[in-house]
Amino acid sequence: MTQLKIEMNQILLISLYTLKENFRNRTYLVSIFFGVITIIISILIDVLGGEQPLRIILDFGLSTIEFFSLLMIVFIGSNMILEEINNKTIYLILVRPISRWYYLVGKYLGLLLSVYLSIILMSILHLILLFLKGWKFDILYFISIFFLGIKIAIIGSLAIFFSLFSTSNISSMIFTFFIWILGHFVMEIKFLMKKLSLVPKFFLTIVYYIIPNFTFLNWRDYIGSANIDFSVLYIFIYSVSYCICFLFLSILLFQHKEF
Amino acid sequence: MDTAIKICDLTKIYRKRHLGRLYTNLGVRNLSIEVYKGEVFGLLGLNGSGKTTTIKLILGLLFPTEGSIYIFDKLMPDKKIMNNIGYFPEIPYFQRFLTGEEILRFYSKLSCIREDIQQRINETVKIVNLKQDINKKVSEFSKGMLQRLGIAQSLLHNPDILVFDEPVSGLDPLGILEMRNLILLLRSKGKTIFFSSHVISEVEKVCDRVGILHKGELIKIISQNDWKQKSLEQIFIDSIKN
Repeated sequence: MTQLKIEMNQILLISLYTLKENFRNRTYLVSIFFGVITIIISILIDVLGGEQPLRIILDFGLSTIEFFSLLMIVFIGSNMILEEINNKTIYLILVRPISRWYYLVGKYLGLLLSVYLSIILMSILHLILLFLKGWKFDILYFISIFFLGIKIAIIGSLAIFFSLFSTSNISSMIFTFFIWILGHFVMEIKFLMKKLSLVPKFFLTIVYYIIPNFTFLNWRDYIGSANIDFSVLYIFIYSVSYCICFLFLSILLFQHKEF
Repeated sequence: MDTAIKICDLTKIYRKRHLGRLYTNLGVRNLSIEVYKGEVFGLLGLNGSGKTTTIKLILGLLFPTEGSIYIFDKLMPDKKIMNNIGYFPEIPYFQRFLTGEEILRFYSKLSCIREDIQQRINETVKIVNLKQDINKKVSEFSKGMLQRLGIAQSLLHNPDILVFDEPVSGLDPLGILEMRNLILLLRSKGKTIFFSSHVISEVEKVCDRVGILHKGELIKIISQNDWKQKSLEQIFIDSIKN
């Protein structure tokens, strides 16, 4: 076996072990359970949509998928490495011939894999309900799920990053939620920047450029609309750059962490 | 004699910042030890004397403030060398949702064992006498079984150096006897064993040489001949009191 193959196998091994760990994680299982229940409930509230009951099922379902996958990525992402440090199970992993960054990347991929599986499960259920109600196939549905996956990848990398420089999982969860909220108000920040004086404007400009713009990734808003002026490729590169950047910073922190 | 582990002027000072103030705590200071190939070297000291710090520094879980560590003449941390070290922590913690066998399989794959993994697992399980319970979940394991599993994972990849942190801590008399026999068996196979303990009677029975650590400093290295003339307990107490 070549060295590269051995190293890739180590990353894969850590990912699969993280996946297995998450399948036994109560937060993960409860989030999926409530996600599924909430999607099913959307059938009962479609009457609120008046002449567009499908729109209610569509929006409610997609929001539910996003909300519960966000819960999973923030809770599990903020806790998984801290838990291994506190439980000291990390010792017996890091004393093996494995680079620290392989471990971190493996954990990250395992986390994403777990959340993506739950997204797939909830989406399949949601699609079944939509088709039963007579919904016509729209490729934007799949694009919106794809970009939700990208959003989840950014938030996951943020959760890991915050969990590495804070000693408490609560603070890393709060930081991650805070960035998630700010990321949805980037356009408002840009608007505010024009109205403010020099010093606050300077700080707001820094925030504007650091915070990932999650509104780019809200493709569920465009389902059924013909006016889409975003470039898919541009958003993809923009988002992946954020993931790589936060993951790189996490690796830097983790390389110098003592246990 | 060839050197397996060489610790040169090792100092570790823990630094912690809180509300802008820097707090420091000494781990070890100017520690220099040479452990020869095939010997059993014991690190003896009271609680908080720096034994676990030394072991964590050897394993790369902590970074030295000053000084360096060489294993088989390679400056640590070195990823390749880690494949030649087996570590047994004071209290072995495992993923509780996995079975004993799943744990050993996971560590075998992480250690990139090239031979038949199942065969290697069977061999180590036999050595530590855990065959009957290996398919139980770790959450159902007793302390003794966890210790055995801990030893098994350290032997899986057949390393030349074994680093044991307080291996007899919390064991019943039978467990202590088994651990002693295991250390002697490993020595007979040519393994180098570096272990920490504060149980003088055990250190006396299995070690070729002993380093006495007190308040982070190595105050004496003694060999078997020394404690044949005067008990190790007495040497230890005299060294610490002085």
